[in-house]
Amino acid sequence: MKPETSSTRVAQSEISVPTWLPHFCSAPTLFAVMIVAELVALVVVLEPGMESRPWLSRLGVVSVYVEWLALLNAVILCSLRRQLDPLRARSGFLLAWVISVLVTALASAVVCRMDQALDLHLTVAPASTAHFVFGNAAICALIAAALLRYLFVLEQWRERVRAVSKARFEALQARIRPHFLFNSMNTIASLIRTRPAEAERTVEDLADLFRAALGADDALGTLGEELDLIERYLHIEQLRLGDRLRIEMDVVDLPRDMSVPRLLLQPLVENAVYHGIQPRADGGTVSVSGRRLPGAIEIVVRNPLPPDAAPSRNGVSLANTRARIEYHFGTRGELRVEPGPETYTVNVRLPETPAQ
Amino acid sequence: MNVFIVDDEPLARERLVAMLAQIDDVVVVGEAGNGRDALDAIARLRPDVVLLDIRMPVMDGLEVARHLGTLETPPAMVFCTAYEDHALAAFEANAVDYLVKPVRSERLRSALAKARRWTGEHARSMQSALEPGRKRTHLCARVRGSLVLVPVAEIDYLLAEDKYVVVHHAKGEVLIEEPLKALEDEFEGRFVRIHRNCLVALAKLAGLTRAPDGRLLANVEGVTAELEVSRRNLPVLRKLVRTL
Repeated sequence: MKPETSSTRVAQSEISVPTWLPHFCSAPTLFAVMIVAELVALVVVLEPGMESRPWLSRLGVVSVYVEWLALLNAVILCSLRRQLDPLRARSGFLLAWVISVLVTALASAVVCRMDQALDLHLTVAPASTAHFVFGNAAICALIAAALLRYLFVLEQWRERVRAVSKARFEALQARIRPHFLFNSMNTIASLIRTRPAEAERTVEDLADLFRAALGADDALGTLGEELDLIERYLHIEQLRLGDRLRIEMDVVDLPRDMSVPRLLLQPLVENAVYHGIQPRADGGTVSVSGRRLPGAIEIVVRNPLPPDAAPSRNGVSLANTRARIEYHFGTRGELRVEPGPETYTVNVRLPETPAQ
Repeated sequence: MNVFIVDDEPLARERLVAMLAQIDDVVVVGEAGNGRDALDAIARLRPDVVLLDIRMPVMDGLEVARHLGTLETPPAMVFCTAYEDHALAAFEANAVDYLVKPVRSERLRSALAKARRWTGEHARSMQSALEPGRKRTHLCARVRGSLVLVPVAEIDYLLAEDKYVVVHHAKGEVLIEEPLKALEDEFEGRFVRIHRNCLVALAKLAGLTRAPDGRLLANVEGVTAELEVSRRNLPVLRKLVRTL
């Protein structure tokens, strides 16, 4: 089904691929790496036994060495970012870890050799070089695994927070299309000169719509109120689009006192106008019809297809409505889309007694 | 100063007309409710300034601007929009101005003042600002000072001749001054190249036949002209024809 695919496509593009590799070149990450390195240096210095020199001077030497190793690893991982990022999280993770262990082993071997050649006695005697290199690599292996994992989880969490706030914002935008607000303002500005009474009524309609849209997410209203909102909305659009928008409303059979979540159905009508009428030079008819079924009601919103029936249907809005129906009515409520050759039909069925 | 208004909403046009009536030496010479009608009228009426809505059915304001840029003396274009459009960003540098709705009277005045200093050069540079990634819905040819629009969906095939491209469409043919390669890139997926000098609408491609003299010809629905397929484009074409 078309709307399904478009909505999933939107969903995919919205959640930007979380990068599993931390940004090692960014200041906060570098800072975290340096702090961890310093902690490692402290642990090494505080290790009891073999105190050949005062601990403060030992801390200095070890700190310089460990920080240098940490920064070296960070710089190398940062510069390999482009090669590592396309990899899958698991294999990339492993590769980054192996790289840092190898870099550490190599670097400590080099440092060890240099120290021995210069006779500074800062590291170890030539006999225990292998032991030194292995120990360094092992420490790095443990710390790198923990640090990579920690930074990854942190990044993921941030990404999720971003995605959630973006989704919230978009849900709000779906309820109040900015175009609709500004176009309506323009309509009112125009009416004030020539038809003040119409302008007044339009302001009232707009106020009602926004009162509903800005209300609580899951506030319940009655079906009658919802149908009134739809009529107000269509009245505004009728003024704006003139005779391009023709309306057929047949909802007298519906129980007006039935309780429904507020603004559940209006977005469907808004979609019909936005996608079905506006792109057509000669406009078309939006029809809203409702009937009673045993224990349920059915509402059908129909609009003509735009000239180049592009699949750019607002999947977000439909998916949002579907989710709300499911939330409030469980499996007894349903939203079906029937794309025909010339018309686009959305069929909503709601049980007369809500689940919650 | 002659002004032309393009907006698909009657009330929006009404308001602009009323506001322009209060500005001295401004005459509204006409208005249109969609891009196609606008282009016809503008080429005929030659206004100095066009107030152009962005979102319109059939052809949007950005495409109208692009086609107007092909006129010998393009009018100054001022865009009107209800809400910020991303597409507009590329334009800002080159458009005279752009106004947000509801338009304020002083903003309208300052936009018109800017329009007086406008030259055709701007319009042409604006054209190139629009180019990347946008597909036109129509091709536009200049015929004796007026603009002839051909809906891209109605094009049968495009034939390059010297520095022109002949657009063969359902209702005849027109000449446009655009490289065939650029058209191929812009409408990627809609046309298929059958020869160095020819693109055929994929939707109208019916098959291949071999002529008695051994040349391979493309059959295009509703077209009697012989369109030769070059050896170089044959493999791709074969594959396409098989999936028809």
